[in-house]
Amino acid sequence: MSPALEPGDYVVVNRWAYRRREPAAGDVVVLRDPERAGRFLVKRIVRVDGPGSYSVAGENEGVSRDSRAFGPVHRSAIVGKVWRSARA
Amino acid sequence: MSLLHRLFKAMDRVSPAPVADAHCDIPCGIYDPHHAQLAAHTVIRMVDLLGQLEHPGADATLAQKKEFHSKIARYTATKEQHAETYKQEVRVLWGDYFKPEHAQKFPELHDLVWKALKAGSKGRQEVNLAAAEDMLKDANEIARIFWSTKGVEVVKVKAPYPTERETVYPKFK
Repeated sequence: MSPALEPGDYVVVNRWAYRRREPAAGDVVVLRDPERAGRFLVKRIVRVDGPGSYSVAGENEGVSRDSRAFGPVHRSAIVGKVWRSARA
Repeated sequence: MSLLHRLFKAMDRVSPAPVADAHCDIPCGIYDPHHAQLAAHTVIRMVDLLGQLEHPGADATLAQKKEFHSKIARYTATKEQHAETYKQEVRVLWGDYFKPEHAQKFPELHDLVWKALKAGSKGRQEVNLAAAEDMLKDANEIARIFWSTKGVEVVKVKAPYPTERETVYPKFK
C-alpha cells in the first residue's frame, strides 16, 4: 500500500463505518484475504462492481496482489474502513 | 517515531492487534535451489568440524575447556540453523515453485521432497554425515529437476568449498 501505508504502520479500523453507508471507491479497507483464511489484507477500493461486490487494489501496483489476481471481493469480506494510521 | 505510533506500539504490546498485510504472497517468480544446496554443504561442513574437534582431556585448562565447549556450541548452532534453512527452502520450492505439470512430468518429485525434508530433520537432530550427504544428494536432484523445468542444462561438478562434494549447477550460456 506504499505510499499511503508503509510496512509497520499502525491502522485503526472502523468496523462500523459501513453500517450507514456502503463502501465506496477510494476507501482504504481491511478485508479477509480471499486466498488464505485467517489473514487480513489492507487495500483500497478502486471500483464498486455491483451490489456487495468490490474491486480492491494495492497502491504499489508492481508488487501488489489484489483484485487483478483474485477478482472482486464480497462485502462480507470487508472488515472495516481504515480510520487513521500512524507511521513509525 | 510519531507519538501516536508509540502509543499504538505500547497498546500492541499489552494486547497484540492482528496484522493486515498490504500484499500477500507476492508471486515474485524468484526461486533457486542453490540456497538448499548451500545449506546442505554447511551442514556437511559442521559435521566435519564437529568430528575433527578433539576433547581437551581431564587436565585441560579452563580456557581450553571453554574453547572446546564454545566450538561445539557454535558448530551445532550453525548446523541447526542451516538444516532449518534447507527445509524451508525445499518447502518453498515444493509449495510455491513447482506446479502440477512439473509433478506430472517428474513423478518422483513428491517422494524426493519428502525424502529431502526427512534428511533435513535427521541432519539437524544428529551429528550424522550420511544424513548431511543425503540432504545434498536430494537438493542436487531437486536442482536438476528445477533447472530442467526452466530448460537449463546442468553440470555436476565438485563444489569449490571445503566440503568438495559433487553439486549440480546450472549451465548458463
